[in-house]
Amino acid sequence: MFITADTIPIFSSAIIREVTNSPLKINLMELGFLPGKVITLQHSAPMGGPMAFKLEETILALRKTEASLIQVEIL
Amino acid sequence: MSESTTIPHPTKYPKIAIIGNPNVGKSTIFNQLTGLKQKIGNYPGVTVDKKVGWMDFSGHKYEIIDLPGTYSLYPNSEDEIIAHRVLNNLSQHGQPDFVLMVIDSCQLSRGLFLATQLIDMGLNLALVLNMADIAKRKNLSIKTFEIFKTLNVPILSTDARGEKGIDQIRDLIHQQNFSKQNTFLDIEEVVPADILNQVKEKFNLKSTYQAYQLLRFGTKDKAIPAADSAWLSQLVASHNFDMEAAQLEETSLRYQKINEIVEKTVVKSPTQKQEAGIDKILLHPVFGYFIFGAILLLIFQAIFAWASVPMDLIDGFFADLAGWVSNALLEGPLSSLITEGIIPGIGGVVIFIPQIAMLFGFLAILEDTGYMSRVVFLMDRWMRPFGLHGKSIVPLVSGVACAIPGVMAARNIGNWKEKIITIMVTPLMSCSARLPVYVILIGLVVPSETVLGFINLQAVALLGLYILGVVGVLFTAIILKKILKSDEKSFLMVELPTYRAPRWLDVLLTMYNKSKTFVLEAGKVILAISVILWVLASYGPPERMDQIRAESVVKLEQASPEQIAEVENETASLLLENSFIGIMGRAIEPVIKPLGYDWKIGIALITSFAAREVFVSTIATIYSIGSDTEDELTIREKLNQQVNPETGEKVYTTATAFSLMVFYAFAMQCMSTLAVVYRETKGWKWPLIQTAYMTVLAYVSAFIVYQILS
Repeated sequence: MFITADTIPIFSSAIIREVTNSPLKINLMELGFLPGKVITLQHSAPMGGPMAFKLEETILALRKTEASLIQVEIL
Repeated sequence: MSESTTIPHPTKYPKIAIIGNPNVGKSTIFNQLTGLKQKIGNYPGVTVDKKVGWMDFSGHKYEIIDLPGTYSLYPNSEDEIIAHRVLNNLSQHGQPDFVLMVIDSCQLSRGLFLATQLIDMGLNLALVLNMADIAKRKNLSIKTFEIFKTLNVPILSTDARGEKGIDQIRDLIHQQNFSKQNTFLDIEEVVPADILNQVKEKFNLKSTYQAYQLLRFGTKDKAIPAADSAWLSQLVASHNFDMEAAQLEETSLRYQKINEIVEKTVVKSPTQKQEAGIDKILLHPVFGYFIFGAILLLIFQAIFAWASVPMDLIDGFFADLAGWVSNALLEGPLSSLITEGIIPGIGGVVIFIPQIAMLFGFLAILEDTGYMSRVVFLMDRWMRPFGLHGKSIVPLVSGVACAIPGVMAARNIGNWKEKIITIMVTPLMSCSARLPVYVILIGLVVPSETVLGFINLQAVALLGLYILGVVGVLFTAIILKKILKSDEKSFLMVELPTYRAPRWLDVLLTMYNKSKTFVLEAGKVILAISVILWVLASYGPPERMDQIRAESVVKLEQASPEQIAEVENETASLLLENSFIGIMGRAIEPVIKPLGYDWKIGIALITSFAAREVFVSTIATIYSIGSDTEDELTIREKLNQQVNPETGEKVYTTATAFSLMVFYAFAMQCMSTLAVVYRETKGWKWPLIQTAYMTVLAYVSAFIVYQILS
C-alpha cells in the first residue's frame, strides 16, 4: 500500500507512484510531480500549513490537500 | 479563426513572442533586448499586464512581446489564458511570427513540456536554455547539440543575468533562425484522427495539434465565436469523446518522451546543498515570521522616511507652479480653474509617485530574490480562515503605503473569490494618505504624555489606528467569505525559486513602468473629480455670492492694513460656506450630526472623497486659516478654538476627533483606488459595492465611537 505525500515525515524521501485523478492532476503533473520521481519533504509551515518538497532541482510548495493527491512509497 | 479572418498585424515589424515557465528569466531577456523601449498595457478582456517592446538591430526594428509565465498550453489562470490565446491566434494581437521559448537549464524536463507543445503547434520556434551559470554551479551539464538533433529546433545556451548570450539572441532574431514546422508527439495517438481532421478542415488549420487545442478549449474560451464553440461541443458530444482523459494521456506520453531525451542529454554530478541553509532560517516556523516582520518594518520605515523627501519637493513644486501660473494669467475663472483645480489635481496624483515607485521597487526586489514565494508559503495557513490566499499578503502589505499598488498586486491570485475578497479589503489597510488626518487629530485630543517611562500616548493612538485597519480587513474578509459563492477550488502550488541577487535594471524598469501606469490610469479620474470639486467649491447661487463679494469690498475699504488678510480669509470662508459644496455640507449635516460633526466637517468629508489628505486643506480653508496650511500648529490651535454656536461647547472634543479618525480609517475616500478597482475588476459593480460597504462600516463605527465617548 502507498501512503499520500502529506504524511511524509520531514526530511524523508519518497518515490511517486501515482497521482490521484482529480482536476488538479494535470497541474501537479505539469509541475513535475510524475510517477517515478523522487520527492523530499524540506519544510512544513506551522499549524498544518503548506509543505515544501524538493523535486529534482526545484522546491515546490503545496497545501496538504494537494499533497494528499500524490501517492508515494517511502524510500 | 480561419486564415481569412485573421486580424492584420497592428505593426509591420516582425513580431517575436517570449514564452516560458515562471521564474526562468523571460523578463530579464525581454528587458535586455528592449531596454526603455517598452510599454505596459492590458490584454483585452483580462487584467494581465501586456509587455511589448521594440528591439533595434542593425537598422531593423522588431516587436517583442513578453508573455506571462505558463507551465503548459492548458490554461489555468488568466496569465496562462493569455499565452494560450496569443499562440492560438485568438487574441486581437495577431499571431507572433516567431516564438522564443526560454527554459531554465536546471529544469529541462518541465521546460521541454511546454516547448514540445509549441513544436507541435507548428510555430516558428527557437529555444533558449537560460541560467547556464546556475546549472554549472549545480554540476549539471547539458548536451545541447543532442537536444537540437532530437527536436530539430535552434537552441542557444545563455546566462541572461550575466548578459551572456544576449547578443546571440539578437543575432538569432535578426537572422530569423527559427525552426520550420515539425512534430514531436503525434496527437492522433490520443485523439481519433477523424475528429481532428474535421476541426482542421472547418477552421482551415495547418497543424493537427492546433486542431486539438481548439477542440479542447474552444468550447470554453470566450474569445471564440459562439457558433464555432457550439459546433465544437457538438463534435465532441457526437463522438462521445472524453477530453480530460485525452489530456491526461497526452501529458503522460509527452513526459515519457521528454524523460528519454533528458536521460540522454543531462549529466549530473553530485552537488552540495546550499539553498537549504538559507531556507532553514527564512522558513523557520518561528524565526521565519520574525524575519518577515522585520523586513516589513524596514520597508515601511523606508517608505515613510525616504519618500517624504521627494514628496515634499513635488508638493512644493506644484505650489510654486500654481503661484507662477496665477501670476502669469489674468485673474478670472480660467486662472482659478488651472491653479485651484487642475494643478492641485495633477499634483495630488503625482505626489504619490515616490511612494508607489519605492514600494514597487521593494516588492520587485523581494520577488526577484525569490523571497516573496517564501512569504506566500509562510502566510497561507494564516490567511485561509479569512477567505484569503497566501498570495493575498502581497496586496495587504502594499496597502499600508497605498491601496493602489496593493489592488494591482491582487492580479496574481488565480482563484476568483480570493482575488475579489483581497481587492475589497485592501483599502482598509491604513494607507499613508490617512496619516496627515491622524496626525492632526491625535495632536488635538491625545496628550503628548509618556507612560511607563517610554510609551508615548500619541504613538499608541496612532498604532491603534493601524491595528484597527487590520482588524477591519480580517472582519470584512470573513463576512465576504461567507457571502460570496464560488465553486472554484482554491489551491496553492508555488515554486520556491533559487535565491538570487536582484537585477537592478529590472527593478528600476518595474518602478518606472508601474508608476507610469498609475499616473496615466488613475490620473484621468482624479483629475476629473478635482475639476468637479473645484467647480462646486467656487460657484454658488449668484445672488448670495455677489452679496458676499460686495460686502467684502466695503469691509476691505474700512480695514486697516493689518486687518486686510483677516478680512480676505473671512471672505474666502463665507464664499465656501455659500458655494454649492457648502450648501451640500449643510444638507448632509443632519446625517452626520449623530457622529458629532457639524456642516463644516461635512464639507471636508465631501471634498476628501477624492483623497483623504484633502481633509486637512479643506478644514484649513473653512476655518479661514488662510493659505498657510504647512503649519500644523496653526490648524490645531484654530480647531481647538472652534466652538459650537448653539451649545457653546468645543467642536473638536475627544469624542468628535476619535469618531473622525475611525471614519477616515474605514471610509472609501480615494478616487484613485476606485479607478484602479474598476480597472482590475472590469466593471463598476465591485467598486460600487466597496464604496457602499466601507461607507456603512465607517458610519456605524464612527457613530458607536462618538456615542460611547461623548
